[in-house]
Amino acid sequence: MGREFFHLLKKDGRLMLSGKFFLLALGSLVLYSVYIHFVYVNVNQEIYPVYLYDPKGKQAISTEYVTRVDTRERLEAACADRYSAGVDLSSDEPELYMLSSGLDTVDHYRAAWAWAALDEMADGQVQITGTNSREMKNRREITAEFLFFELSAVGFLGLASMLFKEKQMGVIRVHAILPVSRSAFIFSKLLWILASDLTFAALLTVINLGFPVGVTVLPAVLVQAGILSLLMALIGFLCAIGLPDFRQFSLLYLVIAVFVTTPVFLAGQTGLSWGWLKYHPMYHLFMSMKSAYFGAPVKAILYYLVCVGGIGLLFLLAHRALTREMVKEG
Amino acid sequence: MIEVRDLTFSYDKDKQALHGLTFTVKEGEIFGFLGPNGSGKSTTQKILTGILRGYGGRVSLFGEEISSAQGPAFFQKIGVLFEFPYLYANLSAVDNLGYFSSFYPGEQLRDVMELLDRLEFKRDFLKKPVSSYSKGMRQRVSMARALVSNPKVLFLDEPTSGLDPSGAVLFRRIIEEERQKGTTVFLTTHNMLDADLLCDRVAFISGGNIVALDTPQKLKEQNSDRHVVIDYMYRGKRTEATVEIEELEAGIPFPHDEIIRIHSQEPTLEDIFIQYTGRGLT
Repeated sequence: MGREFFHLLKKDGRLMLSGKFFLLALGSLVLYSVYIHFVYVNVNQEIYPVYLYDPKGKQAISTEYVTRVDTRERLEAACADRYSAGVDLSSDEPELYMLSSGLDTVDHYRAAWAWAALDEMADGQVQITGTNSREMKNRREITAEFLFFELSAVGFLGLASMLFKEKQMGVIRVHAILPVSRSAFIFSKLLWILASDLTFAALLTVINLGFPVGVTVLPAVLVQAGILSLLMALIGFLCAIGLPDFRQFSLLYLVIAVFVTTPVFLAGQTGLSWGWLKYHPMYHLFMSMKSAYFGAPVKAILYYLVCVGGIGLLFLLAHRALTREMVKEG
Repeated sequence: MIEVRDLTFSYDKDKQALHGLTFTVKEGEIFGFLGPNGSGKSTTQKILTGILRGYGGRVSLFGEEISSAQGPAFFQKIGVLFEFPYLYANLSAVDNLGYFSSFYPGEQLRDVMELLDRLEFKRDFLKKPVSSYSKGMRQRVSMARALVSNPKVLFLDEPTSGLDPSGAVLFRRIIEEERQKGTTVFLTTHNMLDADLLCDRVAFISGGNIVALDTPQKLKEQNSDRHVVIDYMYRGKRTEATVEIEELEAGIPFPHDEIIRIHSQEPTLEDIFIQYTGRGLT
């Protein structure tokens, strides 16, 4: 059994090499790292300006983040950009004045910041997120997102393209009459994709978070990367086996990439929130990846049970699809 | 070696592909399975090679029911040549054979180079990728793949398809050599010449039924009208006469100056197939 598996591994390794799979992964690694190092870490969102109308002088201000205005009209004019937040202390009850940005989450942050900025204790806290500097927070965030994208979109494509080649050559059918198990045929491919994805995840993490920080989050990141890698590889396997040609596969790939992965990114990056998102499995995988990068890995056993169950189910479906493909006519 | 009793198979409820096939193949025999496309040839071969399950009836190979004997030991004893040359296009002939043979016990394997030489494979192409091979060369490598494990039963699906006439002759010679070694050959084809020249017995399959099963010679004899056509010259005039074979026992039964040709009028296997099924083999 071990000898046969070794030969399957050797063959799949050659197929991946000839398909320039590793070159593609290396290219992605360089591209992502360059972007993170030279672009993303310098990106900083401008702090929401806060305007205060306080004709009775109730509030003493010692922070640079709050600007006083003389009239209510000026307060409203300053907040017309839908970005700034205003506080009116002219009556007994303080009133928050804001024009909605259109996003509930963003409006919530603006309001929270406006109140916090008036509190002297808030001064300085905004520049620190947990124990991270702003740069490290950015690095963790974007590295998690890039890794998620690489594993869910690019890795998925990698296994599928390899399998499509074998399908087109017809050699899958030859394996039906060889003294080698169908499970071993699938395991061999999964092992290559898993090893490649874990190596990618480790390098991306260490390069972009730095060695000392990278090493501390690496175990949790590798667990999440392993789960995502296996799930996506098996989905890629099923699609490549089930669809008749690469054109149809490309269409499905587009659907998966755009309609499945994009909402997760939008929710993570822009503050868009939809009630149904919590039922989206990719959202949970995405948030678990982020949590792993911020040193707070998911601890819920149920999450891991569902992941293992999902991998098991997909493996069984892949096995069945492979058997069906072997039976097909030439 | 192969025993099939009342074999039935359906791809779905309304589509029964095989309707109770019964036949046996003896050890060392070349058994031809002839039929047009869609007749059930490939389905039968897939069941015999353990690819297709869920059949009805009994099918045994090496004395064991196929459905309960599909471990590595079963696949180590069979060799299969598919109709199309399925090979890794990015690998060379040697690498392909090295890979496929790696799943069999070492002591069972034939020498790859010797085998390729036997199949008259061009040595210049040994290390070149299969993608640069002609169809005939790919077919040779596929045949080598089927033979490399020294199988006890060889399943051949259209073995001479895609070969030039000399390649077809070579393949027939190799199949004959395998038989002489004691290998049982199950030949699936709609090439009547291959069947006629190679097979000890042939079965005609049509619409999932075996409509005739015998040696090619007996099938031809049974379906011959026992007449010969003689083309001859008499007094400067060329004439054709049809006589019964029995009439020839005492010599040519009519006056003649020169016999030009004698046509036996023996039917081909295809003629017989049409007689049995009302349709051609292609």
